[in-house]
Amino acid sequence: METDDLIQTLSARPAPIAPGAVARRILAGLGLGAVTSTLLMIAWLGVRPDLREAMATGMFWVKFAYTLLTGLFLTAALTRLSRPGGKLGAFAVAIGVPLAALVAMAAVRLMRADPEMRMPLMMGATSDVCPWRIFIIGLPVLAGAVWAMRGLAPTRLTVAGLVAGGCAGAFGAAIYGFHCDETASPFVAIWYTLGMGAVAVLGGVAGSRWLRWR
Amino acid sequence: MLAGLAGEAAPYRKLLDELSGLLRAYYARRAPPGIDAEDLVQETLIAVHTRRATYDASQPFTAWAYAIARYKLIDQLRRSRLHLRAPEEAADALFVPPGADAAMAGRDLDKVMADLPARTRDLIRETRIEGLSTREAAQKHDMSESAVKVAVHRGLKALGARFGGSRGD
Repeated sequence: METDDLIQTLSARPAPIAPGAVARRILAGLGLGAVTSTLLMIAWLGVRPDLREAMATGMFWVKFAYTLLTGLFLTAALTRLSRPGGKLGAFAVAIGVPLAALVAMAAVRLMRADPEMRMPLMMGATSDVCPWRIFIIGLPVLAGAVWAMRGLAPTRLTVAGLVAGGCAGAFGAAIYGFHCDETASPFVAIWYTLGMGAVAVLGGVAGSRWLRWR
Repeated sequence: MLAGLAGEAAPYRKLLDELSGLLRAYYARRAPPGIDAEDLVQETLIAVHTRRATYDASQPFTAWAYAIARYKLIDQLRRSRLHLRAPEEAADALFVPPGADAAMAGRDLDKVMADLPARTRDLIRETRIEGLSTREAAQKHDMSESAVKVAVHRGLKALGARFGGSRGD
């Protein structure tokens, strides 16, 4: 019987699998994508000239923490979704924690600001380009995430695509933060989140096609 | 499965053997018509093997394997829906040239009317199929209109008697 032959062939010499193979593949995909994105950002936009001074300010690190933490939580979520039957469950709540903290911070900032300062705090000087740049810088990371997931076995493809896109957008935003000199928390809460969300939407829409495996 | 991940052939084979039995039962009730359940069993076994790195040792093995089985079932359904629908319509257009229906019907009609007199045959074809009026057919054959009507009526009645069963009188 054919199936018996198949089992015979498959089990003849099973190569041992090292523990942690899933995490390694995801980190490899995201890492490669992030390196590409960083090079892209440097070649295209350049690192902000006042990086040294900026790194002495709290807001630089708030921005970095928001994007990086969101990215790391989404990486953990992606690892869950890369396994058959994997789902987010209560972990989905954790993903929103950095955003919730930033939104709270931005709300306080806006409430304390003079009314005529509120619009500038939200709009900054680069709101027209910020989400688009984050979207483009996030694309190489998304490609890396998709590559990693295709070699694993996600079974909820749309959610996995959404998470892969969000993850790529968050790391793309973290990288963009080394160029962008906007410092107001309301600006970051709106425009950075919008850019990250755009990559997430792309991943979610394309997930069922890009993440299919055989 | 842990033995399989460690590269031990014999226990791994036993596992795949037992799993194939479970999968056969799983797909026996779920495989859609036209799809071979055994193909799905084999596809799932291959996926279990090639994606075995995604098995988390802290989770039950069967839950993991059934999640793959379910994915393969959905994937198969989606694929058969995509692949069957479009080519089926396209295939009709490919294999049946335009006008073939009419040509086939014409050939059948010739066969059916073979025993009728030639002129009756022409009259039936012209008035009933090609759409001539009785008057036009009468002029064409240099007959009176009533003669055309009678000829067509008799011809149809003869056909009815031969092919229509008891309805001919």
